Amino acid sequence: MKFKGKSFIAIVLTPEPPFPDWFKEIDRIIARSPGFFIDRPIILDVRGSKIPIDELEDLLGGLTQRSVRVMGIDGVAGTRLKPGMPPSFSGGRLTSDVDVPEPAGEADRKSNGAAETAPDSRTAAKGTGKAAKSASAKATEPSKINGTSKGDGGEPVVETPSGPASFTDGSSIVITEPVRSGQSILHPDGDVTVIGSVSSGAEIIAGGSIHIYGALRGRALAGVSGKDSARIFCSKLDAELVSINGLYKVADDFDGTLRNVPAQIRFENETLVFEELI
Amino acid sequence: MSNATVVVVTSGKGGVGKTTSTAAIASALAKEGYQVCAVDFDVGLRNLDLIMGAERRVVFDLVNVVRGEASIKQALVRDKKLDNLFLLPASQTRDKDALTEEGVASVINELRMYFDWVICDSPAGIERGATLAMRYADEAIIVSNPEVSSVRDCDRIIGLLDAKTKVAEDGNRMPKHLLITRYDVERAKAGDMLATDDVVDILSVPLIGVVPESKDVLKASNVGVPVTVSDENSPAAKAYTEATRRLLGENIPVTIPEEKRSLLGKFFKGRAA
Repeated sequence: MKFKGKSFIAIVLTPEPPFPDWFKEIDRIIARSPGFFIDRPIILDVRGSKIPIDELEDLLGGLTQRSVRVMGIDGVAGTRLKPGMPPSFSGGRLTSDVDVPEPAGEADRKSNGAAETAPDSRTAAKGTGKAAKSASAKATEPSKINGTSKGDGGEPVVETPSGPASFTDGSSIVITEPVRSGQSILHPDGDVTVIGSVSSGAEIIAGGSIHIYGALRGRALAGVSGKDSARIFCSKLDAELVSINGLYKVADDFDGTLRNVPAQIRFENETLVFEELI
Repeated sequence: MSNATVVVVTSGKGGVGKTTSTAAIASALAKEGYQVCAVDFDVGLRNLDLIMGAERRVVFDLVNVVRGEASIKQALVRDKKLDNLFLLPASQTRDKDALTEEGVASVINELRMYFDWVICDSPAGIERGATLAMRYADEAIIVSNPEVSSVRDCDRIIGLLDAKTKVAEDGNRMPKHLLITRYDVERAKAGDMLATDDVVDILSVPLIGVVPESKDVLKASNVGVPVTVSDENSPAAKAYTEATRRLLGENIPVTIPEEKRSLLGKFFKGRAA
């Protein structure tokens, strides 16, 4: 017999008191998109709230009434949970925000929108769905992406395509300004293009390829959703770390001749191939 | 009734010359005839009062004003030399948690009515004190030394300026100016420092001035007179004055300090810069 590990993306709901208001928000989402919570793995995150078990029971009851089935609870020790409650979950790492469905017109605008529209969609998602989290038995992503989704300084430009059904539709985003130290651009669904430099201490994480029209001085992690064919392009290679599909190389291990020249990095035969772009 | 431009002087890293630059630029602006107020946001580690030579006249401070324990007019300390230059000192006995966002907003708004320029001296770091100092600014002066660590910290601060300030939240872009300080002519020559071009390239912020590392600055700080007042003809003072004129919108080229050991300089054995 063989046990397999598989990682899934779960929606993490963080109840915010007062709970009646929070439920109103949930109801609003359900009213707009009746199927939003159906057949989705949902984790209830009550970390830090020290919620009494009775209140938790009420919360779960309220969610069941709305046909929202919670598969696990994060932030309460398993021993405190009552029989019949979903099991305790911990660990997991943040991925991108899940967009809450919007009325049709707005949704269109958003999926086409570039980085500039990200803050709006983020607030929309924050009110309710908060961040999606991968509840994984065995992590398949590179460990590098730990906790990167929220660099405080940056507007972490997290843009996932809207529409509840798809997490991946290969959209790309364009960032039109320099990415500063401490900022993190996370876009697990497609390509990221930066017009400007990526500073030392900044990082770009993309499901697809990364294109930088400027100097890459920070970290670039391409193909994080398991895409070998992703590449990294930059007009000036001075990176701290590059990675494609979890395979990474730090600056110390780079070929010195490619420093400060336009370069591309691709994945071939389990190694990273660096090439000068002419 | 005027409506001040609020400028934050910030850097992320400590010891790069924020406070010295605040004092020098505020004095230079005052010398141009503007009504100027320098605000020390470094609650708990205040220094601006020393650099400006006002430490013996501080009665109330920023925290008193934020908490409504004193009025702004009571807390403002007038400069000894320049009638139109004021200091709003920080509290030395409190810490940065004593500042509230609403309190700072109301103080800045009130200062806007009395002055032409409000220059905020930010504490080092990216925590509460620093974010509150930049929160309500209209423009920013980023102070960097030509060192990699300082440049990286500045980069981080620029990111915050574009994310966490009122201007940024209103969807606008805060004008930023880069001031390179403690530029050592000899080390630059030997290639031990980042070149100014590299710093400008990395930060992509327009350069407002390059201030040479100088004994005049240290001396001026210790006697409590900003270098732009104490020794107008020193290279550092000239650099600050030039930076101030650029801040005022004049379009003059930035002078990069060079080794100018004139005959006279050799004569006095002193390093000119």
